[in-house]
Formats: sequence, C-alpha cells, structure tokens
Amino acid sequence: MIVVKDVSKQYGDFTALQNVNLEFGNGLYGLLAPNGAGKTTLIKMLATLIAPTEGEIFYNGKNINDMDDRYRERLGYLPQQFGYYKNYSPKQYLLYLAALKGIGKKDALDKIEELLEKVALSDVVNKKMKKFSGGMIQRVGIAQALLNDPEILILDEPTAGLDPKERARFRHLLTDLARERLVIISTHIVSDIESIANEIIMIRNKQLLYKDSVADICATLNGCVFETTIDYDQLEDFRKNNILLSEKQEYGNMTVRFIHKGDSEIEWTSVPPHLEDVFLYEYRDELEGDN
Amino acid sequence: MRIFLHECKKALTSPILIALLIVFSAFNIFIIVSSSDHKEELKMVNEIIDRYGREITDDSLKQFQKDIQNDLLELKGITGQQFDSVYVFLDGLRFEEQEQYSDKDWEFINSLQLKEMYFSMANSIDESYAEIDVVAGGQGDLKRYGIGGKAAETYSEENEEFAERFKEMVNNEEHKEWFFAGKSYFMHSFLFKTVFLHIIIESLLLIVLMTALITTYEFENRTQLLTYSTRRGRKLMKDKLAASLAVSTVISLLLFTITLGTYFFLFDYSHVWETSISSAFNWEYNFPNVTWWDLSVGEFLIGVLVLVFIIQLLFSGLTFALSVIVKSSYITFFLFATLFVLGWLLPTFMPKSSNLLFVSSYTLSTLTMAISQSFMGSNGLILFKNFEWMTISCWMVITIVFCAITYKYFRKMDIQ
Repeated sequence: MIVVKDVSKQYGDFTALQNVNLEFGNGLYGLLAPNGAGKTTLIKMLATLIAPTEGEIFYNGKNINDMDDRYRERLGYLPQQFGYYKNYSPKQYLLYLAALKGIGKKDALDKIEELLEKVALSDVVNKKMKKFSGGMIQRVGIAQALLNDPEILILDEPTAGLDPKERARFRHLLTDLARERLVIISTHIVSDIESIANEIIMIRNKQLLYKDSVADICATLNGCVFETTIDYDQLEDFRKNNILLSEKQEYGNMTVRFIHKGDSEIEWTSVPPHLEDVFLYEYRDELEGDN
Repeated sequence: MRIFLHECKKALTSPILIALLIVFSAFNIFIIVSSSDHKEELKMVNEIIDRYGREITDDSLKQFQKDIQNDLLELKGITGQQFDSVYVFLDGLRFEEQEQYSDKDWEFINSLQLKEMYFSMANSIDESYAEIDVVAGGQGDLKRYGIGGKAAETYSEENEEFAERFKEMVNNEEHKEWFFAGKSYFMHSFLFKTVFLHIIIESLLLIVLMTALITTYEFENRTQLLTYSTRRGRKLMKDKLAASLAVSTVISLLLFTITLGTYFFLFDYSHVWETSISSAFNWEYNFPNVTWWDLSVGEFLIGVLVLVFIIQLLFSGLTFALSVIVKSSYITFFLFATLFVLGWLLPTFMPKSSNLLFVSSYTLSTLTMAISQSFMGSNGLILFKNFEWMTISCWMVITIVFCAITYKYFRKMDIQ
C-alpha cells in the first residue's frame, strides 16, 4: 500500500502541490485533472524522480526514498513524454531498460517477446524505432513499464497517440493488470478511466478535491444535471445563467446539457450525471482560462 | 556489467566520434609521414651505437676518429684529393662537379658527413657543458620574467637544487650517450611536442565529447524520467563514470597505438631506448634537456605515457562532474575548453612577486601543454621537481571530491 502523507511540492515561490494526503491499495486509480493541475508532479514523486518539499510517501510503511532501489524494483512507470533512442529497435531498447531494472538477459528476452506480442509489436521487434508512429512508440512505452512485472504501475497520459482501437485494447489490458497490483493512471481524458477505475482522484488548486468511486463522485451532482432544447438565439443568455456541459445542434435547435443548482424548469429533463460532467463543472475556471 | 557495456556502446557507436577518430588518426599519420624525409639519416646513430657502444668514452671517440680518417682516405680514392674533412670537400665542390660522382659515392659522402657531424658534436660536449652555469642562468630568467619577492626566493632555491642535479648528471656522464642530433633533427620536440600534443589534444576532444555524451545521454534523448526511475535509478551515474573512464582509455589507446605505431615504424629508435634522455645530443634549444632523475629514452616515454593517461582520466572525471551539473554535452564541451584555457593562462594573472605564480601553474592544463618537458629541471618557471606528481595528486583529489559532490547532488536533485 502506498500512503501519501501531507505532501507538498514547491519550486521557489510556486506551489505545485499542497498538503496532499492519499492512500492507494491494489486496484486501478484514475488521476484526473486538467493539464497543469499537479498530476505529473504527484506522479514524479511516486516514481522518486522528485522529492516532496514537505511530507513523505510510504510504501508498506517505509519511506520510498529511503527504500531506494527496493521500492523502484516494484515500480513500472510510463512518463508523459516517453523518450526513446531513435536508432534502437524495441528489443534493444527494452533489453537496455531490462538491465537497468535488474532483469537477467535470458529472462528479459523471454519477457520482451511476450510483452511485444501483448502490445501488438511482434512484427517490428528488430526495426529501428525512428520509423515508428506515435502509437507504436507509446505501445513500446507500455511494454517497458510492464517489463519487471511491477507491483505498482504508474502511467502518465498512457493513451496519448493511441487510436480508438488501441485505446480499447489498452483499457482491457489495464483491467487485467489491476486485478493483482496497484495501477495509477494519470489523464485528462475522462473516457480513458471512467469505465475501468476503481477510484478517481481529482486535484484542484494544488489540493486533493476527490478520492472516491466514480459513482460517489457523480453523486455530488445528482439532480443538478439537465438536458433541454433551446433556440440558437437563446444560447448566449442560457450560457450566462447556467453551466453548460455540452451543446449539440439538432434540427435547427440546440440540445444542451448543463448544470443548474436550484429550481428547475418544466421543459428541462434531469439526467444522471457522468464523470465528465463533474470534471467540466469542477474545472470550469481552469478550462475557461484555457479557452 | 551489462549496464556498463550498454553505456560504453552509446559512445562507441556515435557516428561523429567514430568519424573524428578516423580523421585524427589520418591527420597524425600525415604529419608524421610528411616529416620523415630525414628518417634514413637517423639510422646513423644506430650504426654508431652498434660500432662504438651507447656511451661516449675517450676510447670510443679515438676509434671513431680513426674510422673517420680511414673514410677520408676512401674519399681521397673517390675524389683524387686528400681532405682534412668532408666539409672541406663539400665547400669546394662546384655544382657541375656533382655529377662526376655516382649515387654510391654520394651515399658514402653523406654518411661521412653525418659521422663527422656526430664526432664533432661529441667532441665539444665537455666544452659546451663547462660553459653552463645553472645558477646564473636562473638569475637571468628571474630578470627576464620580472620575478621578485617570495617568488624569486622560491625559484632560486629550486634552481640551486637543480644546479646540484646538473652537476650530478655531468659527473655521471648521463649526457655522454649517443642520440639523434637534437639541433639538426629536433626529434624530442617532434615526438613529445608535436606528435604527443596532437594526440593529447585530439584524444581530449574525443574524451570530453564522449564523457559528456555518456553522462548527458538520457537528458538529451529525453529518457531521463524512464531510466532514473528504474531499479538502478541514479546509481546509473556510477556506471556512466566507469564507462566514461573505460571509453576514454580505449580511445586514447587507439589513438596512441595508431600514431606512435606509425612514428616508431618510420623512425628507428631500436638502439637509443636506453640512451639517457639528458643526452647532450638531445640538446635542441638554448639549454639542454636535463631530467631530475636519470631516465632513459624508453623510461621517459613510458613515464610521459603514464602521465598522459592519468591526465586524460582526470579530465574525463572532471568532464563527468561538469556534465552532471550542466546536462548538455555541447555546453559541457565549450565550458571545458574555456576552463582548460583559463587553467593554462592562470599564472599570467598572478603577481610576479608571490608564490601564487608557481602554485597557479600546478594545473592539468599547464601539465598537458608542457608535456615534452616533463620530469625536467630545464623547464622554465615550472622546473619544480614535484611538479608532475604534485599536480596529479592535487587534481586527483579535486576530481574525486568534485565527482563525489556532483554525484551526491545528482542523487538528491529533482529530475524533470
């Protein structure tokens, strides 16, 4: 079990994370927040790449930085920007990483073959990676994270560059993996984790906002999410009075999905909230800022 | 071991470094071959040593003189005239007369000319060395360089000690051994200044680039998040240091083997390895080369090679430490070049009345640039007997401490 205790991270005057407390057992956790919210900072701390300015992170009661290689040998990590050596083939690269992970050459060769098959790269084992598409590179990244059969698997934006078919395959793979290990996926794409995560962690304003099941997080907006159809001309006024989640043009009118807290109107249809609704609602300021 | 080999492979398969190694080797071979027009003349020393022994004694000189007289008789047979010296014959020779003599005759005449040159030089050794006053020369140097105060005292003390060594060397007759005529061929300068400095600068370029490449490879290929979060983690830097030192050694060995192999293939040193490096024949400029210890040419070469290898390993270590902080191979390279030049120029910024003038010359840059004068008391302002071992020892400590500090810093730093 990983325990994040009172962890803060500062870079000079800038605070990236403040007083975060979390607990992770086996299962799949989705770390959901917009870009720049501090997800990668938390992930890098869990990967021992950066150290907390305050607080500690424990694995089975021991500080992960003190555990050093004994912690990292249990870790599989896919960073957001997965770097690779262009002139290496997946096999050469994975052999190098296997050496760094302390896996013997013979075991590594067997494991590499198995993993490259799992991520559908068996036919390009010895091809130089400089010719690979973004999706293929990302699949090599996923394979390397699994090389040491990790107890803790941390994936930062793992679906970037994957096509819908690959995403579906990846979600299936993760569900299998999460049965007997701790898997943390950081993403800002709700659909990547909504259906597979045991718990969702949301960070806002450098602090922990939610750590709960999808159902419980969605329940925070129960009775507040509606859909209705309006004229296109009314859209501007409607936007001012409600928090719009989505809008769709249909037969000359606009079908809108929105959040309204307070008395509803008769033509509005109450709908069950989705995780994406909570995401858009909670991060509306950041998302508007981005736009 | 596998990690170490992977790290070595990163440098050894770098196309730019392989290309540089080939270009440097070709360049060195060109320099040596293009300066080898006198290589046949050098064989005369081997003949002399074969016939009269390595040491120059009164008896051997008498025999040498007798042989020259016989050769002059043979010259008479060729020319029909008696000459006291082959130079008299050559001075009186007109251009149109040259064709009277066959190639074989000219071979004989040239050989006799060389014999007379070596004989004349050997004969004048005592006279030339009797004129040398090391103490007075030192005082002259102090005036010439404008050195005073404590610095002058330190210099004079060391110079007096060197004067004793000079006397000892003369008494031991280390200078009375045959070697290639320094003032004619400058073989010491050519080997230890031109050739060695070329190899040193080239291998330094390669070593600095390779060390920086190995150390910063992950940061430049953006794989740092992956590699440093593996089980090996930041201890990978230890493998990188070991790989840098190993690759530096391999590269230096390659460059030295190719270059010196060519050199000694062309220039036959087979009879002079045991000649003292302080030989009067190794006198090239204003003052003869005189070492603090009785070293033969072979011992001197080995000593300089060992020195150069240690210097290069230290430079590799320092580059490693710089790279850990800078994290860019090209910035590291330019920073290293700047620091190297600054290290070399450091004494020029020092007051000429302070011992700092000498302390500041105990740098790896100065040691590198003055490699041809290693172990010598006749080495200008860096004549100090302890110069080599003290510089190496101090910089070894500095390098180890610098590497340890940067490694410790790297273990704690945030990797972004």
